[in-house]
Amino acid sequence: MVIVMRAGASPKEIDAVENRVKEDGFGTHLVQGTERTIVCVLGDGRPVDQRKYDVMSGVEKTTRILKPFKLTSRSMSAGDSTLQLNGTTVGEEPVVIMAGPCSVESRTQLLETAHAVKEAGAQVLRGGAFKPRTSPYSFQGLGEKGLQIMAEAREQTGLPVVTEVMASEQVPLVMKYADVLQVGARNMQNYELLRTVGRSRHPVLLKRGLMSTIEELLMSAEYILAEGNRRVLLCERGIRTFEKYTRNTTDINAIPVLKDLTHLPVILDPSHGVGKWAYVAAVARAGVAAGADGLLVEVHNDPGHALSDGAQSLKPERFAALVKQVRTVAASVGRS
Amino acid sequence: MIIIMRAGATKRQIATVVARIEKDGFSAHPSEGAERTIIGVIGDDRPVERRTYDVLDGVEKTVAVLKPFKLVSRDFQHEDTTVNVNGVTFGASSISIIGGPCSVEDRAQLLESAHAVKAAGAQALRGGAFKPRSSPYSFQGLGEQGLQLLAEAREQTGLPVVTEVMTPEQLPLVTRYADVLQIGARNMQNYELLKAVGRGSHAVLLKRGLMATVEELLMSAEYILAQGNRRVILCERGIRTFEKYTRNTTDINAVPVLKSLTHLPVLLDPSHGVGKWDFVTAVARAGIAAGADGLIVEVHPRPAEALSDGDQSLLPERFAKLVQQVHAIAATIGRE
Repeated sequence: MVIVMRAGASPKEIDAVENRVKEDGFGTHLVQGTERTIVCVLGDGRPVDQRKYDVMSGVEKTTRILKPFKLTSRSMSAGDSTLQLNGTTVGEEPVVIMAGPCSVESRTQLLETAHAVKEAGAQVLRGGAFKPRTSPYSFQGLGEKGLQIMAEAREQTGLPVVTEVMASEQVPLVMKYADVLQVGARNMQNYELLRTVGRSRHPVLLKRGLMSTIEELLMSAEYILAEGNRRVLLCERGIRTFEKYTRNTTDINAIPVLKDLTHLPVILDPSHGVGKWAYVAAVARAGVAAGADGLLVEVHNDPGHALSDGAQSLKPERFAALVKQVRTVAASVGRS
Repeated sequence: MIIIMRAGATKRQIATVVARIEKDGFSAHPSEGAERTIIGVIGDDRPVERRTYDVLDGVEKTVAVLKPFKLVSRDFQHEDTTVNVNGVTFGASSISIIGGPCSVEDRAQLLESAHAVKAAGAQALRGGAFKPRSSPYSFQGLGEQGLQLLAEAREQTGLPVVTEVMTPEQLPLVTRYADVLQIGARNMQNYELLKAVGRGSHAVLLKRGLMATVEELLMSAEYILAQGNRRVILCERGIRTFEKYTRNTTDINAVPVLKSLTHLPVLLDPSHGVGKWDFVTAVARAGIAAGADGLIVEVHPRPAEALSDGDQSLLPERFAKLVQQVHAIAATIGRE
């Protein structure tokens, strides 16, 4: 950490800061410029609490040098982490495509969609049984019944299933049925939930919050890893910006940035990222071209009658076309 | 346009709105719901001034139905516009790549860059002679001398030249040297400048403003087309968001959205979009995969010594790799 003193900070103020740093067990190095003094804090990798210094008299600001995440950082791992799901591996050369409806609505709807996405080339089935909806009056999901239908779809198709868990209390129930626990965008900073899924040792798909920075996403992943669960998958799903023509703004920069900062697999959700089905395939191609390890795509057998996210859900035949396009893009970047 | 009346709007207020619509030469179609009345305004293609209705008593809000842009719209012209500049065609099936330094710094730097980007496979040369810099103390560009160097580089390499014009007064000068007039992000809503380039016949590269929506970009293009100049190329270059790890957030959604809304060619600037050279290639690939007609990329022979944008400028050999990779992506979506 670097502590920048105000112009005109007194020698007494500078001394006090230096002493405090030493008291905390760190070394100091003073740089005296013509206008102001900078105190460099030499540590041993232990986190330094910036705020303690920010409040001291004569301090203008403190600047962190080290990244605040450790276990998720690329420097902590020799290579890319991979995640095994019933025979499918996320984070290796093949791009993994997860697809299915936003919500499990009925047995027929889910089974029909599950078979369709499998046939189109998806390797994992998605579907929500517990739904975080903006409005309390919207369809809230089928709960355990939805999980049972997901399990049946897995039995019929062999596809592992990813489904959302919204609260710590739901974790034991959802784990009974799901292969991957999804922590949704709205829960990215629900720290109790992060700790609980961290203790579960179950694979976790962690989505970026609507207003979260890349660093905040990595800090949330750190919560899970810090509890001992390293089976975490990150997902960019669009952030909130001033642009209102699309539902969200897909932060395509986040894909290569995350791949650079962390060893964890990174996937893209183009359905939420753009929010209109007509643009989903283009954004999906972009994600794989940018280096994503996989995609999470909403597919519905009858989008016009979907209980949620109909506007961004692809019909099975359009999803099949997306899979083909994405595979050729993957091949052109040395993947499959 | 649709006018939504407040819950409890009186019959008299509704009648006043209807009378006003008819007085303006449109026809009014009220429909009474259980809670409130909405009035459809049916007209010809003439724009309706929404604000004159927003202020009437009892009106809650007005909603536009038609898009506010006409000449740039795909409804107006279905086929893609192509812009030919000295043998280079923007908007054709083959992608076009513009490469070069942020600023023209000196003769050696520009000529070296120009030959390098040509050898790497670029179709056009970029370089700024008039520079809109955030700080008045930063290098402001070489002005006319820079333009002369660009012309010399064109003579030596045969590459058409793209360079920025910042004010209407500079236009006659810049037009003498440039093949494509760039309107930078900070000038996207400099309407006098838009009108001035619109009155000419020189090709224009219009960059999206840092805080401008897709619709505002199209309205700015509309200014140019409305003056008679249809040779306009649009460019997404990243928008401002809360994410600060990258310089801007590349709005990848904007690429397929613009391609569906307008017939004009659409380029991506991955250099400004992400702002760090090590991520530029991934974002460039994403842009082409999403359907962009080309790229504008910052290249510098010695980025560490660059007078502007060194962080995001590629070394010529890295740019050559980028060109190869994006052509491989282009081939997968049926382009060259």
